[in-house]
Amino acid sequence: MSFLSLAALLVAVFVAAPIAAHLLRRRQAQEEVFPPAELVPPTQPAARRRSMLEDRALFAVRAASVLLLALLGATPFVQCARLGIARKGGASAALTIVIDDSLSMRAQLDHGPISLGKQSKFARAMEAARELADGLKSGDAVAVVLAGAPPRVALAATTNLSAVKAALDGIVPSDRATDLEGAIRLGRELLRGVPHADRRVVLLSDLADGLSDGPPLGAGSEIPVWIPLPELEAKGSDCAIRRADRSGVKVRARIVCSPVRDGKDTAGQTSASAGRTIEVVSQDKRIASAPLGGAIRAEDVVLDVPADAVKDLFVKLSPGDAIVEDDVAPVVHVDGSLPIGVVVDAATSQVATGGPPPIEQALGALQLDAEVRPLAAVPDHADELGAFAGIVIDDVPGLTPEGRKALAAWVERGGVLLSTFGKRAAAAPLGSGFDPVVPGVVRWGASPAEGAEASSAFFLGPSAEGLSKLSPEGRASFEPIAMAGADILARWADGAPLLWRRSMGRGAVFALSLPLSTDESDFVLRPAFLALLERFVGTARSRGGARVVDVGDAFTFDGYKDVAVEYVPGRLGEASQKQEVLEQNGRRLVVASLAGLYVARIDGEQTMRIAMVPEREIDLRPRKITETARAETLGGVQPALDASPYVALGLLGLFAMELMLRTWGQRREATSVS
Amino acid sequence: MRMLVLGSRPCESFRIEIPRAEQMADLLRPTTRSSSDGIPIDWGSLGPLRLRAKTLAEGVYAGSHRSARKGAGVEFGGHRPYVPGDDLRFFDRRALLRHDRMMVREFETETDRALWLCVDATASMAYRSAKAPGAKLAYGALIGAALARVALSTGDPVGLAWIGGRGALSLPAASGREAFDRVAGAMESISAAGDAKADAGAMERALSPIARRARRGSIIVLVSDLVDLPERALPAFMALGTNGRSLVVLRVLDPMEASFGFSGHVRLRAMEGSAVVETDADEVRATYQARIHGIAERAALDLARRGGRFVDATTDKPAAEVVRSVVRAVSEARA
Repeated sequence: MSFLSLAALLVAVFVAAPIAAHLLRRRQAQEEVFPPAELVPPTQPAARRRSMLEDRALFAVRAASVLLLALLGATPFVQCARLGIARKGGASAALTIVIDDSLSMRAQLDHGPISLGKQSKFARAMEAARELADGLKSGDAVAVVLAGAPPRVALAATTNLSAVKAALDGIVPSDRATDLEGAIRLGRELLRGVPHADRRVVLLSDLADGLSDGPPLGAGSEIPVWIPLPELEAKGSDCAIRRADRSGVKVRARIVCSPVRDGKDTAGQTSASAGRTIEVVSQDKRIASAPLGGAIRAEDVVLDVPADAVKDLFVKLSPGDAIVEDDVAPVVHVDGSLPIGVVVDAATSQVATGGPPPIEQALGALQLDAEVRPLAAVPDHADELGAFAGIVIDDVPGLTPEGRKALAAWVERGGVLLSTFGKRAAAAPLGSGFDPVVPGVVRWGASPAEGAEASSAFFLGPSAEGLSKLSPEGRASFEPIAMAGADILARWADGAPLLWRRSMGRGAVFALSLPLSTDESDFVLRPAFLALLERFVGTARSRGGARVVDVGDAFTFDGYKDVAVEYVPGRLGEASQKQEVLEQNGRRLVVASLAGLYVARIDGEQTMRIAMVPEREIDLRPRKITETARAETLGGVQPALDASPYVALGLLGLFAMELMLRTWGQRREATSVS
Repeated sequence: MRMLVLGSRPCESFRIEIPRAEQMADLLRPTTRSSSDGIPIDWGSLGPLRLRAKTLAEGVYAGSHRSARKGAGVEFGGHRPYVPGDDLRFFDRRALLRHDRMMVREFETETDRALWLCVDATASMAYRSAKAPGAKLAYGALIGAALARVALSTGDPVGLAWIGGRGALSLPAASGREAFDRVAGAMESISAAGDAKADAGAMERALSPIARRARRGSIIVLVSDLVDLPERALPAFMALGTNGRSLVVLRVLDPMEASFGFSGHVRLRAMEGSAVVETDADEVRATYQARIHGIAERAALDLARRGGRFVDATTDKPAAEVVRSVVRAVSEARA
């Protein structure tokens, strides 16, 4: 702001002039000559009455006039700017506005703790989208895509600009993960059918999609991607509570923190958790707490709560960070031992000290309240599989078609499978395989890498350090189709996947490219193996018991007639939100767009569902973009509106109102005198 | 100027200055005044006085009988100082030669029904509110002139006295063609001034000539707002109601004075004296009206005891109606 603007705005100080005039005027009442004044009885000094404003409306109008006058003086230097696209030769344009409605967009623009008056990145993105919509001309085509995973079309390409505004009004923030590539691909697809020569995708995102090492966004198509608003780019760090379970007096919370931003993050070098505390809260009262370590990337924290603690507990992190919405999670009750089926060949998977196979010993040593049931073979019947919350399959030579079908159905209903692959799995006979649990062919071969890259295995916590020197005899490899939609939880030093996880329906599949045999590798002897089992059991407990899904996935309700689901907000004072039950391919499902607790009433019976914050969404490292993505040739913030005429019009209106008020006041006075 | 020397002894001689015609005219001309001498009458829509007074009188005495008496009286009634406008037929040259004073002779008749107008010309009578057609003094002068016209038309002499005022020219009771012009001229040249309360002699100066000269059967009309008059003013006026004299009081108020049409918080300053009152007009309106009404009631009661009459008027009231009321009051008082 220049000196002239400041000087003009200083005129606003004269808003006190009407008050001063009133104070000066009230010191002396209106004096009139009146011969029989002696006959008039005096009254007590009405100081209070005289200090009151006689005409509040007139005073308000005059004060507003002074303020507007000051603003008018400053408006030649104050302009309202808005986001707009640059047109090629003034022709009509077609654009897809991609709005990132993921969890990371809830962060504030200055990435500090939330305070009054700050704007979230999502709000700024919506504001920019509306500015773009306001700048559209007749003939322009617009589509709207939401980049929260999975990408969705909010509005197909249309020239109806009022429909665009209506679609924008219907967009709300969510806690989803981010899929920028998918959203851009979807946006480009929507523009392929339009006849406009000038087409582009406008991405309004913080670029934090958990794939900071991925290829730069904006390349690879003739339809350019314009990424305005550099202020949205993700900054800072964040910790989130993915889920919290209670078993007896133990509350186990899964904490995930964003990695360091120098690109060399390794387990034990994160700092988002430093100085923070995890608390168990009951009705705004803290009943247990523990400090977080300063190097948490992904870790389970166990807190003891009183045995008589009420059921409605919440776990929260304090103080707040970049995203406060993910710092609170409801505590879900899990009761009883978790049935885990183990299909392992005791002959090959054994240790020299004897005893049961290492996996059974490990599950028993971890005391995860899991009931381990050794199985001779993978059950191929749904009833048999339904008795287990999780199944571990160690290097089996493929599955029969019936077994694969039953296993896939079981996983989709909430089962969690840990499948390890070795020589025997790679030598599966014709007709046997692992599809659709693990699509494609599994191969076995020598490992070019000596061990895993510890920094990629933050899923396993600090114990990932021990994977750097596995010295395996060989390792399994998978076809790329097996990796589709999977989260790589640990990689070999050469980048090949060591451990990955893929969600299927309500369940999940963990795949390990090493068998549990000590002959092939000493993975089962490493602490990371225990960490893996702990995560596996935790996942099985959450998916099979409380029916936990990642935000963006759907709760399915097969075979039920009456389904009603409500989202229960974690903050006090917020009302429950009824969720829409969709019918898709004959299945009834509810898509969870917010993290937290859902209460489902299924045929009169009330159950709970939990939606967890996606783990990769906590990674706030922004994705790289092409150099042309921010080019000014595509558009920019333009000084589009000079507020002076509007201020002047407002001033004229106030003057007219003052005249009207004065005329009315004079008439009222004349009426009272007569 | 010629100088005549009478007598043989110079030491005993005295000089008489005989004014020339133009010098006489100067003497007869009313004294000129500056506007700072008093508050000029705000005539508003009430002027011109002579024309409107004649019009008013025409409407009032239509139908009334005229007096049978004609001409001047036959019985010598004494001398009095000459005042400009006196009929030169009664100028006493001998008195001038003998005493070096200009005197006129007066005569009495048996049917002396003189009308004496005593007009209040204090400062408060200069008041005129926004809604009034003119100042109270202008309205009172108009009513007085109309009454004089009515009286003169029936052959009754008319005298004039002032309470306060600047440039006030009191007139003895006189009749004839010029009497109306003299009364009207005196009224036109008056300015409101003075404070009757502060000036203890103001009432005395106004009433004593009337007391001395008003004969039996005279009608004395007091035109005043009755505001700011000293407490003894009305009793002194009532005292004139002896010896067969009839009294009528015409109170003239401004509409604002009658209704107290202020609103809100006001600060009121009197025109006479230094009274300043700060008050809430809406709150005290009823009290004020009761007080102003009380003054009228007391005056009317006192007058009635002495056979007099009280007429109340505001300056927005039609003047003809007020003149009729006063004429009616005069008739009642005479009866």
